[in-house]
Amino acid sequence: MSRQIITTTRRGVLGLAAAAAMGVDSRAAASDGRLTIAAHVSLAPTWFDPAETAGIITPFLLLYAMHDGVAKAMPGNSMAPSLAESWSMAADGLSYDFVLRPGVKFHNGETMTAEDVKFSFERYRGTSHDVLHDRVASVEIPEPLRVRFHLKAPWPDFLTFYTAASGAGWIVPKKYVEQIGDEAFKKAPIGAGPYKFVSFRPGVALELEAHEDYWRKKPAVKHITFKVIPDESTRLAALQRGEVDMALSIRGELAEEVTRTPGLTLKPTVGSAPYWIYFSEQWDPKSPQHDLRVRQAVSLSIDRKTMNEALTLGFSHLTGSLFPENFDFYWQPPAPVYDPGRAKKLLAEAGFPNGFDAGDYYCDSAYSNLAEVALNNLQEIGVKVRLRPLERAAFFKGYAEKKMKGFIQGASGAFGNVATRAESFVVKDGTYVYGDYPEIDALFAQQAGELDRGKRTELLRQLQQIVYDKVIYTPLWQLAFISAVGPRVDQSGMGLIKGFVYPAPYEEITLKTHT
Amino acid sequence: MKQYIVRRIGYSLLSLFLLSLTIFVFVRLTGDPATLLVEPGASEADLQAIRVQFGLDRPIWVQYWHFIASFLTGDLGESFYYRTPVLDLYFQRLPNSLLLAATAMTFSLLIGIPSGILAAVNVGKFWDSAGKVFALLGLSMPSFWVGLVLILFFSVYLGWLPSSGSGTVWHLIMPAFALGWYFAAAHMRLTRSSMLEVLGSEYVKLARLKGLPEALVIGKHAFKNALIPVITLAGINLVVMINVAIIVETVFAWPGIGRLLYEGITFRDFPIVQGVVVIGGAMIVMVNLFVDILYALIDPRIRLES
Repeated sequence: MSRQIITTTRRGVLGLAAAAAMGVDSRAAASDGRLTIAAHVSLAPTWFDPAETAGIITPFLLLYAMHDGVAKAMPGNSMAPSLAESWSMAADGLSYDFVLRPGVKFHNGETMTAEDVKFSFERYRGTSHDVLHDRVASVEIPEPLRVRFHLKAPWPDFLTFYTAASGAGWIVPKKYVEQIGDEAFKKAPIGAGPYKFVSFRPGVALELEAHEDYWRKKPAVKHITFKVIPDESTRLAALQRGEVDMALSIRGELAEEVTRTPGLTLKPTVGSAPYWIYFSEQWDPKSPQHDLRVRQAVSLSIDRKTMNEALTLGFSHLTGSLFPENFDFYWQPPAPVYDPGRAKKLLAEAGFPNGFDAGDYYCDSAYSNLAEVALNNLQEIGVKVRLRPLERAAFFKGYAEKKMKGFIQGASGAFGNVATRAESFVVKDGTYVYGDYPEIDALFAQQAGELDRGKRTELLRQLQQIVYDKVIYTPLWQLAFISAVGPRVDQSGMGLIKGFVYPAPYEEITLKTHT
Repeated sequence: MKQYIVRRIGYSLLSLFLLSLTIFVFVRLTGDPATLLVEPGASEADLQAIRVQFGLDRPIWVQYWHFIASFLTGDLGESFYYRTPVLDLYFQRLPNSLLLAATAMTFSLLIGIPSGILAAVNVGKFWDSAGKVFALLGLSMPSFWVGLVLILFFSVYLGWLPSSGSGTVWHLIMPAFALGWYFAAAHMRLTRSSMLEVLGSEYVKLARLKGLPEALVIGKHAFKNALIPVITLAGINLVVMINVAIIVETVFAWPGIGRLLYEGITFRDFPIVQGVVVIGGAMIVMVNLFVDILYALIDPRIRLES
């Protein structure tokens, strides 16, 4: 009922908006080098401090603006040298050397040194703290611009965790932090990123100013304001009125409205979160899921293209892989195929000419719309399931505790690479693994100790191929995050970094000179 | 009298204790906040690290004892999401909520009371029917819908008012109207029924028999007495407006306590939800205690009966 009211309301409201959409208000939110971004979530002060970075992508919305890392994902390079010009691993895999960029200035004018890099690593207390600190024996400074990390044992994923999956490699000025303390740092952060902190009003706005001495390039936009507007319709109204220049997260009917409004542009970006159907009973010989042909039939029955067009305006990426396409060691599988005829044939060959009752279909209730489409597709080939949408916490708890029998519509946006993702989802004893295949476990163990990147890539490629061939999962899509941009923005920064859903790098953002 | 006051204070403390226990338990029934502080599909080690960081790995009674002990020293804990003391967050948002609530309350009283009087003195006539329609619309239309329509009409279509945010008087108009309408309708209904009751009383009849002008009968004799329950309700409503204007504050991106509560619920930020609910509850309990004591002072029957 409430859903119906909301839909009706939105349509009614959109009708009004359409009547009003003779164009976007031309009041210059972006004039005099100012840019305003409407954020979809309240900004947390912990996101101003790389040491606090939790295992979610949202803090990186601000880290990319105020801070910089030794290496980070950049356009065309998932691990681009930034504050470190280069790095190398010792032949025995027990240490990594980083050569730092000379002359990098923090916002307070101090010059970055190796002391800052060591200090930033040691004070990091975010989600990957234990993983990093359990495996790193010590950090040494052999020269003022050189840092050496000593590992307790060879760890091929050290760089992934240090630079991409945590805030440990994002550098803060040691002297300043020691002088003012951790709490005060969150109120007046200093970094080495392209924008300086000016002011913050919790739940309202964050003001940033260009860091003229940014080592990479001088940012073109002088001021950036993040304005928190939690309601999606209000964000769109603010964009239509020209009060903001970018609105993050505009979905469904509202995204369609953007396409009909002159002057506004949709900016879909695909993140690192694939969605899939997991066959949790494939190891049970009594279950229809045990038969490979049944799992293949399920995959063939899903009309991913229609699903994508209906729910995300066709912007999500259809995928045949459990692993995000921007992950290190990714292997590109064949594109998924929709062929209900062949699916029915395979079911008949497997002994289910009239389909079968497949039990429950579990999903995170926030994505039950995706599940509803999948259910209809399954029904068409005679596979009957009962939808069990669960609130997110309950869903992931049940999923991890291996309590769910039937189909599980899962997803993951966790950081890492193919190996870390495999560890959680396909390897024996993984958090979300209901059964295992010895050949996969063997390949995983082998790659974990392999320091030769070429050989490791090959091992992980084989692992991914087995996951694909055995149809352990039926991947659905890699979800698109849709934002909208107003007429004064020339380069929004959206989509420049593969797998990153927010505008970045900020120094690349430009405004049109004549609007 | 002293015994009466002590007993009322005792009841108030008991109410607060039960409220704190209820919100503490119920907020935990909503699930594990760790799952919302990491990306979907995070490893169990990541989840456990979050639980340890926020003390959620400890037994629930230990957590409750810690909550109560801290609360008694004026510490409502630290927000999981903002990593800031809840009390600091509350007081950062309080001025905005007070401003919005005061404006919305002024609007609701300015509209609700006169229209209630008008309806009561014109029972069954046009103004009564118009008042009923006004009240029906105000009470039945969801405030998020009213808010969105206001934004689209006055911001997007006419371009007169800013769509959201705070800072100027123009930002205040639409959220105050959207919030105030519901309460204006409630105040109108109560004023009407209260006036009807007073207008039927013996002393009003006597005033009329004495030949007092109708305006004086209504304005001086009836209105003053009819106003008491309306003011009592308005006091409680003001507390409600300050603490739970969740929808209006969210739609208009108004940085008040209602939105803080919304954020607390969204991110399963237990300390924020507990803190806002307990402070809001404490305000209501204190208003009730004050009213009870005031009643006892005014009406000797109450303190004698007790």
